[in-house]
Amino acid sequence: MKSVKNIAFALKTYGFLMQQLVGRDFKVKYKRNVLGIAWSLLYPVLLMGVMAIVFSRIFKINVPGVSYLVYLMTGLVYFNYFSEASSLAMGSVVVNFSLINKVYLPKYIFPLSKCIFVGINFLLTLIPLYAVIILTGTGLNWYHLLLPFSFFCLFLFTVGMGFVLSAVSVFLRDMFYIYGIVLTLWTYLTPIMYDINMMNPKFAAILKFNPLYQYINFARMIIIYRSCPSWLNFVASLGSALLVLLFGVFVFRRNQDKFIYYI
Amino acid sequence: MQSIISAKNVSMRFNLGIEKGYSLKQAFVDLITGKRRDKIDNDFWALTDVSFEVAPGEVIGFIGNNGAGKSTLLKVIAGVMNPTKGSVSVCGNICPMIELGAGFDMDLTADENIFLNGAIMGYSKDFISSKRDEIVEFSELSDFMSVPVKNFSSGMIARLAFSIATIVDPEILIVDEILSVGDYSFQQKSEEKMLSMIKGGTTVLFVSHSAASVKKICNRVIWLDHGHVIKDGDTSVCDEYVASFSV
Repeated sequence: MKSVKNIAFALKTYGFLMQQLVGRDFKVKYKRNVLGIAWSLLYPVLLMGVMAIVFSRIFKINVPGVSYLVYLMTGLVYFNYFSEASSLAMGSVVVNFSLINKVYLPKYIFPLSKCIFVGINFLLTLIPLYAVIILTGTGLNWYHLLLPFSFFCLFLFTVGMGFVLSAVSVFLRDMFYIYGIVLTLWTYLTPIMYDINMMNPKFAAILKFNPLYQYINFARMIIIYRSCPSWLNFVASLGSALLVLLFGVFVFRRNQDKFIYYI
Repeated sequence: MQSIISAKNVSMRFNLGIEKGYSLKQAFVDLITGKRRDKIDNDFWALTDVSFEVAPGEVIGFIGNNGAGKSTLLKVIAGVMNPTKGSVSVCGNICPMIELGAGFDMDLTADENIFLNGAIMGYSKDFISSKRDEIVEFSELSDFMSVPVKNFSSGMIARLAFSIATIVDPEILIVDEILSVGDYSFQQKSEEKMLSMIKGGTTVLFVSHSAASVKKICNRVIWLDHGHVIKDGDTSVCDEYVASFSV
């Protein structure tokens, strides 16, 4: 009860700051581009176009019975959110050192604001995703109303990772390079451009422990296979997200008072 | 009268063995050479057993040489650092004068920065909106409000920062060497603003190397040296501090 009160108090006090930080990121990101916010819509479409050509034409990867474009784009939209938000969150504490050193601010606000900022971008990328769903004739169904559940899990998972990464990178600057490599590896270990059933079953079983696979799978089940995710999908998605979030909060809280000596 | 700030036996330790940007390479080197970095005994006590009480409305100047612990002490009071030993309790809202422009985003316009900076200092949207015109007027930058701050001169940035920082009447104001901003006329104006805030009953913690300006503004002076309080008294402490150099 007390913590609920604390959270409500923090929301009231720092809500406006959060709004300003997210707004700042938007202004800075789009201000100097000719196309501005249209890039949020164009970028995923172009990226998907390139990958679709490379994987379906050159490598001849195909997922039987479904539109490969939709298959690919669902995975891309989810994974890109994670990779962009977690990378930005990782640097957010280090970058804002001049503030942390002068004013008392809750430090979690920096990684969290990055995850929210990229989250708004993520919502914008749903527009081209739905355009592709409709144009390819994949069609809509009522289960689409369950999709926000997977957005929510993806968000919690990313926030958790953002907390861990931003805390670790304060102590270990090498993380910025290491994580770049890890992300590349992660891209290939997540079934974004291939179907997990194409893999060796033993290897596929291991890949299913990847939380991002859970969220993408949840979405594909609805968008592509027009079926309702099983209760196991719900549990795996929410469970992995909460676990990582709690771990992130734990790591961040334990270390946040030490940040100032290391920056 | 109840004190607004009370510091009890505050000590602050830094470990000088911690290098900035501790990297994997160093960790690896340490592993091979068998050295444990945190075991190296080069602790540095920036503050040792500092205690004082501040009554509301007092204007305290902190003087001392470089490295005496003045800025560290203010950071502890502002809640940016937790003291290694002892405790600090503050009842009242603190307005730290953020180092000139530290809270600014250089890509945003002056107007956007007013809101961003205000939010960082913990003000609400309505409050900043209502004070916006006053801030613009005080900074004398009304023609430049839609210009990105990166195109400002350092004096203009300082003027904007000072105007935002002082626009409210906080209960406690922390000033760390800030009065020498802007051109001569703005310096006069900022000093007047400070004096009027002090008359209005704001408690001020003022750090400066200039004994003259401390003497002019403050009614109590704390002299720090190597983390110890050497003297705590009225402005005559300034004279003793200055005299200590002439021996």
